[in-house]
Amino acid sequence: MIEFQNVSYKHQNEVGVNDLSFTIQENEFAFLIGPTGSGKTTLMRLMYFDLLPQTGMVTVGDFSSKKMKSKKIAFARRDIGMVFQDYHLLEDRNLFDNIALPLHVLGFPASEIIQRVDECIDLVQLSGKEKHYPYQLSGGEQQRACLARAIVKDPSLLIADEPTGNLDPVSAFELVKLLKDIHETGTTILMASHNYNLIKGRGYRIMELQDGHLRGGS
Amino acid sequence: MDKFLFLMSEGFKNIWRHKATSFTAVFTLYVTLIIVGIFMISGENIQKILEYARSKYKVEVFYQQNVTDQEANSIAAKIKMIDGIRSTTVINKNDAIDIFKEQFGEDILSLLGYNPLPASTVVNFERNTQNRLNFDKIIEEIKLIEKVEAVRHQGYLINKIEKAYQKMMANFPIVSGLIIFIAILVIYNTVKLSVYSRKNLIYSMQLIGATKAFIKLPFIFEGLMMGVISTVFVYPSLIGMVNGANYILESVSHTRMQLLVDPFIWIWLIGLAGIISILGSYRAIASIIK
Repeated sequence: MIEFQNVSYKHQNEVGVNDLSFTIQENEFAFLIGPTGSGKTTLMRLMYFDLLPQTGMVTVGDFSSKKMKSKKIAFARRDIGMVFQDYHLLEDRNLFDNIALPLHVLGFPASEIIQRVDECIDLVQLSGKEKHYPYQLSGGEQQRACLARAIVKDPSLLIADEPTGNLDPVSAFELVKLLKDIHETGTTILMASHNYNLIKGRGYRIMELQDGHLRGGS
Repeated sequence: MDKFLFLMSEGFKNIWRHKATSFTAVFTLYVTLIIVGIFMISGENIQKILEYARSKYKVEVFYQQNVTDQEANSIAAKIKMIDGIRSTTVINKNDAIDIFKEQFGEDILSLLGYNPLPASTVVNFERNTQNRLNFDKIIEEIKLIEKVEAVRHQGYLINKIEKAYQKMMANFPIVSGLIIFIAILVIYNTVKLSVYSRKNLIYSMQLIGATKAFIKLPFIFEGLMMGVISTVFVYPSLIGMVNGANYILESVSHTRMQLLVDPFIWIWLIGLAGIISILGSYRAIASIIK
C-alpha cells in the first residue's frame, strides 16, 4: 500500500526526514510516534504528495512520487482520507456541506451524497448538528467532523496527523476508538501522535521517528 | 452535469458566504464602472453639446448704406460659399426697420424721415464638422467681401469653445485609454484580493483531492457574477445621472438640449467588468495553486 525507499526531504530550517525506508501493508493500522519536530508531519505530507522527496521514492497505491506531476496529485489524493490536528474544515459552510465536499469533488450524484453523508454523521455521532458551522462545534466535534469528511469517500488509506493533539483525553480516546472501527472495515490507517500513552498496548505497529530517522518498526 | 451545477451554485453561494468581501468588491467595481460610464457618456455627448453651442453662434454682417436688396442677396450668397458656413439669412433695410420697431417700440422712419439702418445678413455655422471651426479665418474672409461694412460677433467666446473642443478631441484617446487601464487594474486587483482572502479554503480543497478546474470554476463564476451585479446597478445610476443633468440643463440654463445614453454602453461595461473579473479570478487562483 505505502512504500518509502530511501526517502529524504530537508526543509530550509528544519530537519524533515532522512533516508527513510519502510512499507505499510494494505489494511494495516500503524502508529507513528515521535516528539514535536521529529519529522512526522513531513513524512505524512510526503504520503499525500504535498511534498515530493528530494531523494528516494514514495509509492502510495498506484501512484509514485517519481512519476508524479502536479495535475496528478489531486487524483492521488482521492483515495486518501486525511485528518489534521487543526481540522482544516471550511469555515464558510456547515457540517453537512463540509462532509459532502469530497463527494462533490468525485462527482457523486446528489441522492448518494445525502445518503453517504448521513451515514458518516451517524458514525461519528454528530447527528442533529448537520446545519452547524465549524465555529459552533467543540474541538472534539470538529475533529470527528474532519474524520467523517475523510472517510465519506470510502478511501483505502486514512492518514491522521496528530488528530488528538487539540483534544481532551476523553475525546482523544473516543477518536482512536472510531479509527479502530474504521480500520475494521478494511481501511489502512496511519496515525501520527506524540502521545505514547494513548496508543500503547493496542497491539498495532508503532513506528518511531527521531530527528527525521526511523528508529523502530520499519 | 451534477458537478457543473454544483460548481455554478458554489459560485453563487460564495458571494453570499463572503458577504463583506463580495460587497466591497462589487462596490469597488460599481464606482470604477460609474467613472468609466460617465466618461463614455461624456464622449458620446461632446459632439452633441458642441453642435448645440455652434447653433448659438451669432454673427451679423452689416453692409454699406447704399447696398440694394438685390446686392444684399448676392453678398449673402458669397458669404454662404465660405467653408464652415451653413446658411445665411438676409435682413434687408425694411426688415431692419421692423426689427428696430419690435425691439425699441419706435418707428425710425417717421422719427428721422429716412432709413439709416443698413441691410445685413445673419450667418449660421456648420454644426456637424468634427474639426475645429476656424472662426477668425471665416470672419476675415467675410470682411474682404466688397460692400461689407462691419461684422459683429462673439469671437472671443467662440474661439474659446472651439479651442477647448479641439484640445478635448486631441486628448480623448489618451485619457480614455488611461481611464480604462486604471479601471482594469482596479477591477483585476479587487477580484484578486477577494480570492487571496480565501487562500486557506483553496488549500483545504486541494487536500481533499479537488482538481485545479474544480477549485477555479466557482471563483470564476463568482468573479463573473460580481461583475454582472455591479453593472446591473451601474446602468440605472448612469441613466439617473443623465436625467438629472438634463433636468438641470432644462430648468437652469433653459436649453432644449437632451443628453443621451447609448444602451450599448451597458453591454460595453458588462463586457469590461465580466472579462476582467474572470481574468482576475483565474490569475489569482492560478498563482495560489501553481
